[in-house]
Amino acid sequence: MPFRTFLGFVLPSVVAMLMLIALPLAGVVYLSLWNSYTKTSFVETTVRTPVGTRVERRPVAELDAAGNPVIVREWYGTRNFETVLGTANLAEAWERDRTVASGGQPASAWQRFKALFRDVTNVKFWGALEFTLLYTAVTTPIILVLGFLIAMGVNSVVRELKGVLIFASLLPFIVTPVVGSLSIKWLFLDNAIITVWLEQLGFGKIYFMQNAFTTRLLIILVGIWKATPFVFIVLYAGLQTVPSETREAAIIDGANRWQTIRHVIIPHLMPLFVFVTLIHLMDAYRVFEPILVFSGGQGADSLQHLTYKILSDEQNFHKASAAALLMVLGIVVLLIPLIVKTYKDQRRAFA
Amino acid sequence: MSQPSDTPNLADRMPFWLMALTGIGLTLWVLAAAFPFFWMTLISFRLPVDAFSVPPKLIAPFTTEHYWQLWVGDRFWLKFLNSTIITVGVLVISLTIGCLAAYALARYGGALGFWLLLMALIFRALPHVTLLPSYKFAFFELGLWNRYETLIVILVAINQPFTIWMLRSFFMNIPKELDEAAQVDGCSRIQAFVKVILPVMWPGIITTGLFSFLLAYNDFLISSQMMNADKMTMTSALSAYMNADDDAFKLMQGVAGAVSITAPLVVLVLFFQKQLVSGLTQGAVKG
Repeated sequence: MPFRTFLGFVLPSVVAMLMLIALPLAGVVYLSLWNSYTKTSFVETTVRTPVGTRVERRPVAELDAAGNPVIVREWYGTRNFETVLGTANLAEAWERDRTVASGGQPASAWQRFKALFRDVTNVKFWGALEFTLLYTAVTTPIILVLGFLIAMGVNSVVRELKGVLIFASLLPFIVTPVVGSLSIKWLFLDNAIITVWLEQLGFGKIYFMQNAFTTRLLIILVGIWKATPFVFIVLYAGLQTVPSETREAAIIDGANRWQTIRHVIIPHLMPLFVFVTLIHLMDAYRVFEPILVFSGGQGADSLQHLTYKILSDEQNFHKASAAALLMVLGIVVLLIPLIVKTYKDQRRAFA
Repeated sequence: MSQPSDTPNLADRMPFWLMALTGIGLTLWVLAAAFPFFWMTLISFRLPVDAFSVPPKLIAPFTTEHYWQLWVGDRFWLKFLNSTIITVGVLVISLTIGCLAAYALARYGGALGFWLLLMALIFRALPHVTLLPSYKFAFFELGLWNRYETLIVILVAINQPFTIWMLRSFFMNIPKELDEAAQVDGCSRIQAFVKVILPVMWPGIITTGLFSFLLAYNDFLISSQMMNADKMTMTSALSAYMNADDDAFKLMQGVAGAVSITAPLVVLVLFFQKQLVSGLTQGAVKG
């Protein structure tokens, strides 16, 4: 295909991406370095009340000649980043004297570390980072194992059942994330079915929404529920491509079931395991909806949700931009292996 | 998916205990996957006392009150309309410009193609919230906030990286000889594309379209920030009912809303299960 024709074909798509992804990204960098506020001045008004008069000072937005509020923009440098990272609080937490434990005895190194960790994660950004990483670290191995087991299981049932199993598995995966999270939350409310069942089974009344531990547990549960189908479908498709000769050869050589899985099937699926892990790492890093639905950031927060909150509640574009950029930093680290792999693959394909 | 093979499968010689274990495991998984949907649908037709009763009931008086209150009282039909406009708009524009770009990327061998694909990959990994401060700021300043066109254009752009990667992998499967034959017969590039290539691309377009549909339909993050209540999609309108745990009727309307949003998706899976599965495995199996 000649270069000019190529340009004509890709132009609309490339323009869309440059205008609405690349440019906004540059805009976020710009916004993060500034601060802006509406210029206000205090107006004194005399208020008459039954018990006398009183003077009130109220802030009023200053208007320009056209009658619009005057917006002041101020160069902030790295101050937005420092606010998000809570550098002042961090410094204070670091300096704090922790040599004495609550009982009066000298604190052990572990106790001191725990106290420091608690103080650091009390700063919102680091708390969000902590739970994002915890969520990623816990869900990834579980969905890989669970997805593989389900794929092996579905592969072994009769054909008529496979369709039903795949249909049921696709539901958590494609459902609107907010709805999926809500559907699980409604099972765990104080009078909801699973809470009541657990109570009847003798686990006692658990108030799932009231404490950080159970909230975190549910968020992780939703994550597993939603991501396992993807792993299952991809691995199941991979299982169909295991050459039957290799499998038969292994059996003839006297390999038992476990050895066949260990030495034939898992190595064959290895590229797919790598693929789903990479995709899940990226998805887990930007977990958002379960946090929104279950905790609203209380007790469990994520980086994407934290940024969203700064934007929607505080309406602070500048601080939100700084948080967003700090989040991108993590994505860059996650992406490096993927970019290197694509670079090699595509170079080979194009060469 | 591949055809069922006639070669002896490992399953044929499974010992009984393993078969039993597989059966139990798969039953548990299907329950876990489908029960939240089943229960949500069941309780959406109940009064709050029956929906969250102790002990839970399987049979309870039937009511459509919450649906009536939500769709008519709270004008959820308007949100349904908004969702339709947004998803159809995103689907049509995204597939049109995506097909053009993906086709060119599948057929062009130069370095620029490679760099565009790499750029798309990086963009695809960006969390959506990263771009939101700019969108909110810029579209507000431009006076383009709270408009269908704005949200459609944003979702199209965010969707492009995924769309071109997926469509490109489908175009790669169509032999180059087909274009060449068409051009020999006197077609221009664009004629060859429209008359010869697109007709054989339908499976790929449908599969990619399904995922574009899901992205636009399921989006909460951007839609909830770019639109006012009247123009919100169904998904972002749910936020009004989300934290209503102390108002039982409001909560039940939320349940009815969630079921309303899920219903079209269930139909989608019923009709397009095969395409969804092939889409999921498209990028994966080929590496």
